[in-house]
Amino acid sequence: MFANGCFHLEPPDRSLTNLTVVFNSHPWETVTNAAMQKYPNPMNPGVFGVDVLDRSVDTQGRLHSTRLLSTEWGLPAMAKSIIGVTRTCTYVQEHSVVDPKEKTFELKSTNISFTNLVSVDEKLTYKPHPQDPEKTVLTQEALISVKGVSLSSYLESLMAKTISVNASKGREAMEWVIRRLNTEIEELAATARSSIRVPMAAAVADK
Amino acid sequence: MNSVGEACTDLKREYDQCFNRWFAEKFLKGDRSGDPCTETFRKYQRCVQKAIKEKDIPIDGVEFMGPNKDNST
Repeated sequence: MFANGCFHLEPPDRSLTNLTVVFNSHPWETVTNAAMQKYPNPMNPGVFGVDVLDRSVDTQGRLHSTRLLSTEWGLPAMAKSIIGVTRTCTYVQEHSVVDPKEKTFELKSTNISFTNLVSVDEKLTYKPHPQDPEKTVLTQEALISVKGVSLSSYLESLMAKTISVNASKGREAMEWVIRRLNTEIEELAATARSSIRVPMAAAVADK
Repeated sequence: MNSVGEACTDLKREYDQCFNRWFAEKFLKGDRSGDPCTETFRKYQRCVQKAIKEKDIPIDGVEFMGPNKDNST
């Protein structure tokens, strides 16, 4: 790990990526509910912890949440020569706002990293599709800043590719969570049905 | 899903269950009645705050609620 002082000789190089994802068969409430329970899911195995640090409803009825995501990920071997480690634990601080009246769910996150070399700032917004309320649109922006290292165009395109892979993983992750929640609801309903049947069967048997 | 503080995972799950139910069944449906999870949240938060201090995680600008804000570790 390097102390901050080693790398602030040059202004940071930045890479900004914008992406849009449409959920064709899920309305905003379904997607928002799933997004709030996004972890764990098999597409994001690096996320091993999620904690709520603070939460409140403001005077306009919007829910504010501050969360801490604990992630661990392996880096490509070449990273060892740059930052000295190949497995790293990164914490992500996320602030989100759900407005149930306007139907928006906005999340802003930034990594809290001990090396402070690479910053990833992300902003996600979930809204109903403007033409079809049964669909939801996610717009996603990511800003990567690397201190003191000139981003070659190769590294930049690698990062852009990683972000777009992560965005499609993100969509898969959301679909997985939505399916899981629907399964839980079905199982609950099935349990409720069978627990009503048992007393009736017993009443018939008593006769 | 676990908590960053291993000891807090059970408290976290208890809070999450309460919150997720309220969020889906009340909040998203426009029901403005209060949050029933404040007590479980307080217990969970106290635990997480301690874990974060112990692990030296540099959280930015979060004021922790709860009576133990000034506890020294």
